[in-house]
Amino acid sequence: MALQGPEELGEQVEEPEDLDDQDASSISPAEEITLPPGPGGDYEAEEALLLPWDRFSAWLHCICVVGFDLELGQAVEVRQTTRRQLRHKTSICYLSFPDSNSGCLGDTQFCFRFRQGSNRKSSLGCFLETTDRDAPPCLKGHYYGYVYFRQVRDKSLKRGYFQKSLVLISKLPYVTFFHSLLKIMAPEYFEKQEPCLEAACNDIDRWPTPHPGRILLLPIMGVVIKVRIPTCYDKPGTTQLVQSAQVKTAHTQNRGVLCFYPVFFHIQMLWELVLLGEALVVMAPSPAESSDTVLALVSCISPLRYSSDFRPYFTIHDSEFKEYTTRTQAPPSVILGVTNPFFAKTLQHWPHIIRIGDMKQAGEMAKQMKVKKLKNLKTLDSKPGVYTAYKPYLNKDEEIIKQLQKGVHQKRPSAAQNAILRRYFLELTQSFIIPLERYVASLMPLQKSISPWKSPPQLRPFVQQDFMKTLEKAGPQLTSRLKGDWIGLYRHFLKSPNFDGWFRNRRREMTQKLEALHLEALCEEDLQQRVQKHSEVETVDLVLKLKDKLSQAEKEQLPVRPGTVAKLRSHIEAVILSLPDDLQGILHKPSSP
Amino acid sequence: MALRELKVCLLGETGVGKSSIVWRFVEDSFDPNINPTIGASFMTKTVQYQNELHKFLIWDTAGQERFRALAPMYYRGSAAAIIVYDITKEESFQTLKNWVKELRQHGPPNIVVAIAGNKCDLSDAREVPEKDAKDYADSIHAIFVETSAKNAININEVFIEISKRIPDVDAAGASTGRGFKLGRQASESHRTCC
Repeated sequence: MALQGPEELGEQVEEPEDLDDQDASSISPAEEITLPPGPGGDYEAEEALLLPWDRFSAWLHCICVVGFDLELGQAVEVRQTTRRQLRHKTSICYLSFPDSNSGCLGDTQFCFRFRQGSNRKSSLGCFLETTDRDAPPCLKGHYYGYVYFRQVRDKSLKRGYFQKSLVLISKLPYVTFFHSLLKIMAPEYFEKQEPCLEAACNDIDRWPTPHPGRILLLPIMGVVIKVRIPTCYDKPGTTQLVQSAQVKTAHTQNRGVLCFYPVFFHIQMLWELVLLGEALVVMAPSPAESSDTVLALVSCISPLRYSSDFRPYFTIHDSEFKEYTTRTQAPPSVILGVTNPFFAKTLQHWPHIIRIGDMKQAGEMAKQMKVKKLKNLKTLDSKPGVYTAYKPYLNKDEEIIKQLQKGVHQKRPSAAQNAILRRYFLELTQSFIIPLERYVASLMPLQKSISPWKSPPQLRPFVQQDFMKTLEKAGPQLTSRLKGDWIGLYRHFLKSPNFDGWFRNRRREMTQKLEALHLEALCEEDLQQRVQKHSEVETVDLVLKLKDKLSQAEKEQLPVRPGTVAKLRSHIEAVILSLPDDLQGILHKPSSP
Repeated sequence: MALRELKVCLLGETGVGKSSIVWRFVEDSFDPNINPTIGASFMTKTVQYQNELHKFLIWDTAGQERFRALAPMYYRGSAAAIIVYDITKEESFQTLKNWVKELRQHGPPNIVVAIAGNKCDLSDAREVPEKDAKDYADSIHAIFVETSAKNAININEVFIEISKRIPDVDAAGASTGRGFKLGRQASESHRTCC
């Protein structure tokens, strides 16, 4: 648990081969840091279920301190981590600092996201498998970096400035929680240095695992944070507020949908663009604004999950820079947040560009009525606005714009404005998704078609034409007053990654439901009576099948009625006991995994 | 029954038995080979006091010098501080006086201070006379007890004494456990005379 001190110069991060690094194998072994064993008691700990750092790594992959070295540029100074390698070190360094040295004086918080190397098992693999079930579906295979950056004048330093970032790297998408955690940790760390970090790691290593749905007490540096990890069953906006800290996923907003202020005449178009998974880039003056805006975009279609990649803060040093900016292919379905003026040129060919200006010029928003032509976007000095040739499918909702404008004039508190906008998005998304939910529910076979002695029936396939027909009578017009080309919007949506992600999820849930109903039907049968009528071979076959069913139910945690699994287990036991002794012995052996 | 959360921190030189006192109080156990604390460790225990439940949120701080600067994080917002010294080490009693000074200067204004002279089972090796410590504690209006985490002497008593000295919910104007906190916390809004 001891602190890993500043790394020697040789390990700093400017080797070019690191730049495009995506797989673990190309990392030099020098990066593997092995921590000294804890202060005694190690043998006992190894027998315990959780080793030192196990609890820590359920929450964080590592903690980095990124400073600025006059000769080297950004460099990792200190790292608190598990025994694992820290890959993407270069990326992390650049992503932890504002891209352009502009403004950003004082303390800034933002977040970034990067792709996890592909050829290694998820570091949290074993943990996530057990608890991910109820977790809100967030994209797997990505890490989040939560940054607290401080830049203050300091004449005692050669550079004239103190510039440092405290960075938490985690698989967990709880933006608000990690930002409030950093707000506690970082100011103390900048003042009190390493012992502070050591204490924080020690605290985190005793936290309960982030189990969805539970209220957790998390002591850290003299305060106790009370949080409830959201589950996938939470309705957006109903996440239980527990004292000061509330855990929100990256899919819900951070500063709030208020980031859209500079472009709020176009919020409805932005909603369509996000819904359809269009390539979007947000050009903002600072990482805080860029990451808040990207997160707000991603969350504006909630409860629908945004299924493509998104990068709240993306730099030219990112591993995916080439992949995402190439002109040889159509722009990918991603949302990027950038601050470097260089992107104005690199991403000139992108179809939709959102320019967020300085947040202070809130008064200006009334003037940005028109959607701007793409060709007008030459440099990052261009005016705030949405640069696109996209024609929205739905007619503009003047009412929400008026309502928000009125709020601005009346100086309505931003929390209230935020709530209005969120509710608007939620209702819009729900109006859109309800017809799909209804149609997909109709693909479920009737309960009476489930027979315990046949395999569970299949879901009927999704037929686009059939779905479109349902829209005439039960379309979004039932819940939304918005007019426009809803059919066109659905047609486009059905081809998008968001539909694919949503449908996969639904299909998996419904298939599991069918399996569960089948299992319940099986448990209601008198198996022993049935066995008497059949040969020994058939009975053995039945036992094996039932065992399969049982292990599936346990592994996938099928949504069966309570007690069903126990009932099935006793059925199996009873059937085995009706067989001759030798067979009993064989069948009682635990099945191989 | 009302539940009140009370933040309590333990301060004192390394090796005087802060963690052992907490272990005895929370788990009722004793380990002679306990590891030095890193930063601080956190434990809770709820006890009944009159018609209230007091949930002690205990921050057991590290005594090692390198963690010295972290102490304000732990006594900030504390309702009580238990400052521990080792009756067999005169030096640890001097360190205690420095902690009292720091708390007076930078701690919450009405923090309840308890002084615990630990390891009273080792009276053969005593260096700090009980009377000296008692007189000092009285002079600063602090709770005073000699304790032994090893033999479970006076451990619960320290916390009972703390409960007694915590201002009433009504008197404090705001409960720390329930409802909204308006303005400053209870511990800051009620000044004792000293």
